[in-house]
Parts: sequence; C-alpha cells; structure tokens
Amino acid sequence: MPYDAMSDSSDEDLLAAYAAGEPAAARALTQRLGPKAFGVAMRMLKDRAEAEDVAQEALLRLWRAAPGWRAGEAKVSTWLYRVVSNLCIDRIRKARGGHVDLDAVAEPPDPARSAEQDLQETARGAALQAALDTLPERQKQAVILRHLEGLSNPEIAEIMDIGVRAVESLTARGRKALEGLLGARRAELGYDDD
Amino acid sequence: MTDKRKAEEAGLGPWFDAGRAEAPAPSGDWLARMEAMALEEQRAPAVAVMPERESRGVRLRDLLRVLGGWPAVAGLAAACAAGVWFGAVSPATFSDWTSVATVSDSYTTFEPASGFDVAMLGY
Repeated sequence: MPYDAMSDSSDEDLLAAYAAGEPAAARALTQRLGPKAFGVAMRMLKDRAEAEDVAQEALLRLWRAAPGWRAGEAKVSTWLYRVVSNLCIDRIRKARGGHVDLDAVAEPPDPARSAEQDLQETARGAALQAALDTLPERQKQAVILRHLEGLSNPEIAEIMDIGVRAVESLTARGRKALEGLLGARRAELGYDDD
Repeated sequence: MTDKRKAEEAGLGPWFDAGRAEAPAPSGDWLARMEAMALEEQRAPAVAVMPERESRGVRLRDLLRVLGGWPAVAGLAAACAAGVWFGAVSPATFSDWTSVATVSDSYTTFEPASGFDVAMLGY
C-alpha cells in the first residue's frame, strides 16, 4: 500500500499492516504517533533529551507489541499515551530520588508567588506550561491529556488506570489551580484585550 | 473540540488554545531515527515475549514430548510407584515369590548345563 493511501487508515489498521511487514505503515505510524508521544513526554518532563528517550522507548515497545496486537482490545494511541505517561512518571520519581505519592493532592500554589516566578515568561503557551509544572503530577497529567491532547475522559481514565469520575475530579482541581495561577497574568499577557 | 470540553475550559480557553498552538514538536532528525528504528524492528524476526508462567508451561510440554507424551509418562510414574512400594514393604512378603532361589542354591540348580557344556555341545 502506498504511503499516501495510508493517511486515511486507522492506527489499528496501520499497526496490522506494520506487523504484516508493510514498510509504508512503519513510516506512516512513526509520522503520526511519534510527535504525539514526544509532545506528551515533553510537556511532562520539560526536557527534550529525556522526552526523546521516553518517546523512543514507547515506540519501540509498540513495534514489538505489533505482532501480537489484538484488534479491538485497545486503541493504539491510548496504549501509547499510557506507556509514555508511565515512563514519564517513573523518570520523575527517579529524578526526585524516591517515592512520590501520586494520589496526594497538594493545595494549589500561591498564585502571587508563581506569577512572580513566571515573570520571565512572555509567551502565553510558555506561561501555561509554567503553570502546569506547578501542579501535582496526576493533575498535570490529566489536564495535559484532556485539554492539550484533546482526549476524552474515558480514554484518560484508561491511560491513568482510574475511574472517569476521578479524571473529572483531577481535571477540575487542575483547572481551578490554573485559573488561580494564570488569572493574575491575564493583563500582562494581553488577554484582557481579547 | 467538543462542547463539553469547551464548557469545562471556560475562562482558561485562550490559555489552552495558546498551549495547543505551542505544542512541543520533535526534531526532524529524531523522527528520521524513529522511522529507521521502526523499519529495523519490522525486519527483525519476531521475538515471542511470553509471561513467565507460560514459558514454564512450554518447558513442561517439551519435557513431556521428549519422554513420549502423557501415556508414556503415566507408565513411567506407575513403574516408579511400584518400585517404591516393592522397596518399602518387608522382603518377607515376597518370600513365596523368591523361594525358588535361595542363597544355598547353586547356579546349576537352575542351569544344569554350564555355559561351557553348552558351548561344547555346539549350540
């Protein structure tokens, strides 16, 4: 199958074609899933080299899982997001040198303090990322998947291995914290003029 | 974007719009390396990754096949059990079976013609 003809194929069909030895499927899937895996890893880890390592490891696991992939059991993108998320959390734990209680929900940080720290940030996207980085890991993960990657709550629940209500709760708390953090910067970044 | 998500974002909508627009992108070099890796993995012979429990099962199946399958293994087990039983019970129990041959009996009790005689007779 030519590469162009694969643009309309689902991830699952492409993975089946990959397992069948179709080189164009390997290229199409890499172009489609590589940036997604890298993007989430980069938002979670804030380090390009680390994000590349994590995304590479996740893709490698996908290629190796392809021959035994059972169609209809899991969405390829959901599976990949899950692997990336778990690898990122492992790295964050190691970087912090020990156990991180992921279920612990911290109080939202002091908006004034965070705004002061973020004064150097000028871009709106960068300000959002800086605010995201102050959230507890699980809130950050849920908000990224929901509002930046555009996934549905059931998909996020599957990725994070929690219930849909827990996802809703995490994203709601995350948004509340972000409102506190970013509200103080609306005028600074020109949102009051929008 | 779904209406539900839009409603959730509310005042944060413009921030998330900016975040989506600022999505981190991988370098072309990295993507090229990932593509090469995908093609390389595709060419590599598939390695069956099996859970530990299943791989133990494979070893048991191999052993059974080498021994001749379940019927052969059942016969072997029965023979082993009989051997253990013979060894465990008192030798007196078998006196009737073994009374034909006693310590005092000579070889010729059972074989009147010796091997030499047989050889001389030309058998």
